[in-house]
Amino acid sequence: MNPRHHLDEATLVSYAAGALSDGMRAVAATHLEACGHCREQLAGAERIGGVLLSQRQPGPEAGGLARLRAEMLARLGTTAQQRAPLGGEASGQEEAAGAPDTDLLPRPLRPYFGKSWRALRWRWTAPGVHMIRAGRPSGDTLIMLKIAPGKSMPVHSHGGAELTQVLKGAYDDALGHFGPGDMADLDCDIEHQPVTSPGVPCICVAALDEPLRFPGWIARKLQPLVRL
Amino acid sequence: MTPNTTRWSLSPFETARAMSTNDPQPKSAEDWAAEMAAVSRRGDRDSFMRIYDHFFPRVRLYLRGLGSPEAVAEEIAQESLLRLWQRASMYEASRGSLATWLFRIARNLHIDRLRQERYWVALPEGAEPAEEAPDEPYSRAESYADHVDLARRIEKLPATQARLIRMSYFEAKSHSEIAAELGMPLGTVKSGLRRAFLKLQVEVCGSAS
Repeated sequence: MNPRHHLDEATLVSYAAGALSDGMRAVAATHLEACGHCREQLAGAERIGGVLLSQRQPGPEAGGLARLRAEMLARLGTTAQQRAPLGGEASGQEEAAGAPDTDLLPRPLRPYFGKSWRALRWRWTAPGVHMIRAGRPSGDTLIMLKIAPGKSMPVHSHGGAELTQVLKGAYDDALGHFGPGDMADLDCDIEHQPVTSPGVPCICVAALDEPLRFPGWIARKLQPLVRL
Repeated sequence: MTPNTTRWSLSPFETARAMSTNDPQPKSAEDWAAEMAAVSRRGDRDSFMRIYDHFFPRVRLYLRGLGSPEAVAEEIAQESLLRLWQRASMYEASRGSLATWLFRIARNLHIDRLRQERYWVALPEGAEPAEEAPDEPYSRAESYADHVDLARRIEKLPATQARLIRMSYFEAKSHSEIAAELGMPLGTVKSGLRRAFLKLQVEVCGSAS
């Protein structure tokens, strides 16, 4: 998988800074897992964080240091140091052994949708459209959409921020062809009408960042469709 | 709605004065790398505590800026430093600065903490409580020169871009939050951040991979 559509630099900066909402973070992380180019870019954004961190100047008000220092010294005595990993670090235990499990959802999505593709409980929302909404106690909206092949979605623009990552299948719109691994990180004033490719359903994960100040078109648009 | 003017009266990036109250002498990224090597090879506690004395107050300050209450900032900062101790053997100085690694660790712990607070409610069946965010010490080759050069570029950012960067990194504000707070269109916030990032990125691609 070699994604051709990437995260916007502004999104990468926010990801690095820990400034994305949970849902957007999960979608961005899903793309990053699949995209070496964006991981490179992210490393650059994190370096900015490193420099900014080292430039912070704690004032004299920073108290309690003697106590915390003593506490840390005590913890060093009871905390083992890890040995160097042999032959690089295995990033995922279950994937490390044998063939990749094709039923596994991308890791960043598992906290919200579970582990297994098969276990997903799709809900019919409109002809040719199924959806799962992650339980979101606060803030943004995170959904998985499954759209039947060869289907055209309503024309829409983006009032707030929206990140969409294609997981399976593909769609086309004015911006190009979006296949598995591709990210649609859209600016607010882009109007588009995605049409899913023939063959297999297009499955995407999307996060909408909708603080209260932005009573977005998304809610209105999707409301009849998905009962948000 | 209530712009915090006092916050902005701080100098842009609290400029890179190398001296600080708790550091007898300034150290370069190279010095920190040497201290880390001692921590890794011999479990050298003196070296570790020198790293601690320098970085702990900075990490704690960073976490407070993100909105952590004092006690939480303290706890996460301790935890972050302890990870350096535990994982010192993973650190290769030639591949990244200690500050960047520490930044990533502290940020991840902060995010995890927020998430725990929000999602103590039941997770969906089969869900895993912990998320992505591996904190390897580095993800790309980075030299000492890069670090110094980047610091210089940050200082040269135009005021608005510097402010957007600062609100992102120091306060973890989202694009929409920044837009609302500064009364800017969302697109302007994004393009400002994009430009700032590109300015800070120049020429690092030359270094390996």
